Amino acid sequence: MLKKLKLFIRERFSSNTSARDNLSDLFRFKYSCFKMLLDSNAEFLKVISDIEEKLQGQKVFGMSYIRSRSAKAVFHALRMVKNLDDLSGHCYSSLFEVFEKINSNINQILNKKKEDLPSENILPYSMVNAEMADWVGGKNANLGEVHNKVGLPIPNGFAIAIRAFKSFMLKTDLFDKVSKKKLEIDPDNPETIINISDEIRKLIISTELPPEIEEAIMLAYKKLAESAVNNRSLDCSFMVSMRSSAIGEDSELSAAGQYLSKLNVPPDKIILAYKEIAASLYTPQAITYRLNKGIRDEDIGMSVGCLQMVESVSSGVMYSRNPLNLLEKNVIITAVPGLGPYAVSGVVTPDSYTVDRDGQIISAEVSQKTVKLVCNPDGGLMEVPVEDDFRHKPCLLPEHIHILTEYAKKLEDHYGCSQDIEWALDADGNIIILQSRPLRAEQFGKTIPITPVLAAYPLLIEKGMTVSGGVGIGPAFLVASDDDLLNFPDGSVLIARHSSPKLVMAMKKAKAIVTDIGNIAGHMASLAREFAVPTIVNANVATTTIPSGMEITVDAYSGRVYKGRVTELESFQNPGQFPMKNTPVYNILREASDWIVPLNLTDARSPNFTPANCKSLHDISRLVHEFSYSEMFQLSDFVSDRKGIAFKLKGSIPIDLYVIDLGGGLTENNPSLKDVSPDKIASVPFKALLGGLLHEEFQQNQLRPVEFKGFLSVMREQVLAPPSVVERFGDRSYALISDKYLNFSSRVGYHYSILDCYCSQTVNMNYISFSFKGGAADDVRRNRRTRAIAIILQALDFSVEVKADKVDAKCQKHESNLIEQKLDMLGRLLQFTRQMDMLMSNEASVEAAAKNFLSGKYSL
Amino acid sequence: MIRLLLVDDEEDFRTTLAGRLKRRNIDISDVGSGEEALDLLKKKSFDVAIVDIKMPGMDGIEALKHIKEIDPLMEVILLTGHASIEAGIEGIKSGAYDYVIKPCNIGNLLDKIEDAYRRRLIEEGHAK
Repeated sequence: MLKKLKLFIRERFSSNTSARDNLSDLFRFKYSCFKMLLDSNAEFLKVISDIEEKLQGQKVFGMSYIRSRSAKAVFHALRMVKNLDDLSGHCYSSLFEVFEKINSNINQILNKKKEDLPSENILPYSMVNAEMADWVGGKNANLGEVHNKVGLPIPNGFAIAIRAFKSFMLKTDLFDKVSKKKLEIDPDNPETIINISDEIRKLIISTELPPEIEEAIMLAYKKLAESAVNNRSLDCSFMVSMRSSAIGEDSELSAAGQYLSKLNVPPDKIILAYKEIAASLYTPQAITYRLNKGIRDEDIGMSVGCLQMVESVSSGVMYSRNPLNLLEKNVIITAVPGLGPYAVSGVVTPDSYTVDRDGQIISAEVSQKTVKLVCNPDGGLMEVPVEDDFRHKPCLLPEHIHILTEYAKKLEDHYGCSQDIEWALDADGNIIILQSRPLRAEQFGKTIPITPVLAAYPLLIEKGMTVSGGVGIGPAFLVASDDDLLNFPDGSVLIARHSSPKLVMAMKKAKAIVTDIGNIAGHMASLAREFAVPTIVNANVATTTIPSGMEITVDAYSGRVYKGRVTELESFQNPGQFPMKNTPVYNILREASDWIVPLNLTDARSPNFTPANCKSLHDISRLVHEFSYSEMFQLSDFVSDRKGIAFKLKGSIPIDLYVIDLGGGLTENNPSLKDVSPDKIASVPFKALLGGLLHEEFQQNQLRPVEFKGFLSVMREQVLAPPSVVERFGDRSYALISDKYLNFSSRVGYHYSILDCYCSQTVNMNYISFSFKGGAADDVRRNRRTRAIAIILQALDFSVEVKADKVDAKCQKHESNLIEQKLDMLGRLLQFTRQMDMLMSNEASVEAAAKNFLSGKYSL
Repeated sequence: MIRLLLVDDEEDFRTTLAGRLKRRNIDISDVGSGEEALDLLKKKSFDVAIVDIKMPGMDGIEALKHIKEIDPLMEVILLTGHASIEAGIEGIKSGAYDYVIKPCNIGNLLDKIEDAYRRRLIEEGHAK
């Protein structure tokens, strides 16, 4: 393949006049392919974690979720394949076929279930359940589920379906008008977002609803009012509360209360309230959120719940468990007199009750309540003083507290996780559920401790990062090699230095996984979630503080590891049943995800790591990602025998070094320049490497302090390389750079090294791969040098592989500042290596040289 | 100079973008529909086209397919505002270079145009 490309370059760039431009174009092109590939890889992995989360079955979703996620995974996998194929000069065309096979399997599964969107604009809650999230939004779907599946009372009412929203937006051309308006947004200028948001919302609110939608809503309202009036015989107008319930990815925002809800709406304001709630999809926060997340407007939609207004005597929020302590099984209830908004607004201090699982009230803190919110007879809410007699009275009677506790337990059992519940107590003494949602949205990466530190047990790890929640208990087993993985004992806790997809081999047997270093969005993280193994990364000292065989308890909810068996946490080892599991929609996601999520190609060195063995989109992305590194790695092969496309790096550089800018690597771009000084380098990784190469120790210890002919000439004299070798490898170092990228190759006589690095703010894209080849393998000294380098690289936290005289080292997914530190050390190492041969007089010198380097003694 | 064809039915967006690209030393022609684009291609050749996916009449994906028939080496960047991701998949399969989301940052778009142009140069080399 390489030959083919080299030949191509020779043919194409045979005329010297344009060689510089053309070859530079080729580099820039390859780099642009690489960037797109990395970008899609990051997007792809996000989709995978998202699907895995839904596969746990706690969160509601529908067919359009499955379709849009699958399409996104397919798109990014395809974009990766295309860019690898371009990058390599079309050496991977076979991957397109592999991709197409998997894609058609996914399509077959998705086409099995027709999009049976309901033809109704209105759905009464008696017909709504969790599977209808696509039609009525997550919040409404959940409320229907609470009533129809859990059997708890909710207010009478109906959902105005997404269908009504879509036909409103389509029939009045609002979709087009809104997207035209949105073109005026300058993503870099927040002020334009605020202005456009304002205009869009005004536009939506001032547009008439299509008559059939308006009629349908008002008819449903009439029916609701009649059925209620039969029960209560009221003569004043019947009021409703109207609640936003957005679909898709937006339902997260919706749950967080970002969209409008209106209480106590009179009949003549229902249509206006509906439009106001629909328009709240375009608040500046919502627009910004979607721009940042790349969510398209086509995927958003607003359903509105229209419910009988409960004129509550008291109302509040309850947690089925203490949100800061999963171990405490008590239900926590807060209550205020009047309507709910004051329970969370901080205007009054609510009563607070703690109740144990059996309904025993453990504590009741009754506060003084001076004001409350009530319905204004004309619509809307108003604040009134609490009657003197009631200010010190508890809002709830013991029987109410008992019922609430029962409801909380039922909801938690049904949803399989602790719940955050809004409730109201009506004038007739009925408890009514207004909303129930998971107590804590799982936030990968931000580990919020939700279990207390248990002081009775020695704490081994205090602050790891949660990748996959849960508790695992078992004997520790340290994995340092592939053999360890193969011999991993069933029921143990896996401890490793680095996270790696290879660990999957032991995931079925592992009770939990703890690694010193790792990334929450990497391949291994995704596997851990798929296998539901409680996993902590970035524990830093797990491998050094936890010996094999020690019994430990991993609390991956809070990122902690204890010595011994923590009985308090035992019951969290097995997760319960979840509402979405085994529904038809869930099963389709399960089936489709079998072609998307599983990662079979976990070992890049295995002979099975080939396109033909890709069985899922994840396999394709992993393979493409890995191969793209090798393609970029080989970039330097094109430069070493080419002249005239690079700037010479000038100044007191002890190396004969040429720089090729791929874009943004230099502070100014002037093609007429022949050389460039170090202060003109803008490339973050290259600057860091230069820092190490120019480290003062090496400046002082130059063998020829005055005449800096370079690294090269010094080296040549030292090793007395045969001229043929020098000729073959050339005698220059090259740095191909962009703002975030570096490919650095230096070939000197016998040995060469290549460093390839991406260093950006996106942790997931960052990596360094470094190769050092010492020359002929039979030379004992060079072999020693290779081994010394391997020891040093290992100590610098690279994963290292040594084959004969060649060292391959890699590290990835570190923060940019850590990448820069490592590059600085690699710069020093490159300088250090040229003195090393002399040190390698005996076996002991291998360790000695490594030790010297690591302790900062760079001189001989 | 890169010869660029911009195809988008939204006139304000199109003329503003065309103006800004002209200032960046790009030889730009702009039309308001896929049909007009194909007519123009009979008279003039281009290096790169930017095509909005969602247009009345001939949509962007169809236009892309015709463009690729006329000049297989012409690179096509798709503009997606509220087009479906399925259209994006179809686009890449039909030979689109890449996509850009509207509204877009002019600097990013310019980079994308240059990258697409480089691909054309390189693919031309292959074709020889």
